[in-house]
Amino acid sequence: MVIRRRFIALCGAAALLGGAVFATSGLAHHGWTWAEGENFELTGVIRTARLGNPHGLLTVNAKNEDWTVEVGQPWRNARAGLKDSMLVKGVEATFQGHRATDKSKRVMKAERVIIKGKLFNLYPDRD
Amino acid sequence: MLVDALTALQDWAPAAWLRHARWTYAAVNTAHITGIALLFGAIIPLDLRLIGWRREFPIRVLARVLLPVAVAGFCLAVTAGFFLFSVRAVEYAGLRLFWVKIALIVCALTNAWLLHHALQWEAAQGDVGVTPPPSLRMAGALSIALWLSVIVCGRMLAFVD
Repeated sequence: MVIRRRFIALCGAAALLGGAVFATSGLAHHGWTWAEGENFELTGVIRTARLGNPHGLLTVNAKNEDWTVEVGQPWRNARAGLKDSMLVKGVEATFQGHRATDKSKRVMKAERVIIKGKLFNLYPDRD
Repeated sequence: MLVDALTALQDWAPAAWLRHARWTYAAVNTAHITGIALLFGAIIPLDLRLIGWRREFPIRVLARVLLPVAVAGFCLAVTAGFFLFSVRAVEYAGLRLFWVKIALIVCALTNAWLLHHALQWEAAQGDVGVTPPPSLRMAGALSIALWLSVIVCGRMLAFVD
């Protein structure tokens, strides 16, 4: 019984540690759970681009505010016809998608990118 | 200085290539998970035996089967993990959770090393039907808790910034 109690206590401690780390770690990055349901649109100029796995991130300046815009993994961008050379510093683009639920953060996930009037649809099955 | 080294790592040709690879990146991910599965799946039965479960089997017998699998799994997970890290070295190194995970791995390895070099481990190799000594039970329970925590931290890395 003593062994079992110690075992359960240790497992509990591990779960607590994991939970505490998770709870203090802030915004979830992957998937959609961190974003709100309403559609959101942002137009601005790309300042920096970090493209590639596990997902691409752009810094976009819109009305003198820097936003972080999550775009697709390489294959998703490629499928939409979006080349890395189009997502470079100085390019003006409109991003449609969903903003982070936490309004204190200027973060959005893009479903569609519009550059010079041309639409690149990263998620053709989402609206 | 660390940042310079990490920048050099992610500019390293294989890392830069993997960052834009589709199926190879997926394959490296799969290798990482497979390594974890082998390690965790093999070490848990041994840990449970150390705690006192199924004590009709001598530790020696289980260890001969399970330890090589666990070690191979660990090596696979570390190798694949290194490549996954290299893709975004600076970014991952900036996450507190990443260093928590590394610290937990060091703790788990230390626990395993101490156990393996403990006199009680040697003495208990052939035991059948007896309650293992407290130090072995403790080491087994600690091993489960630590490796489980490593998995939780690793998985959560994809969900934090």
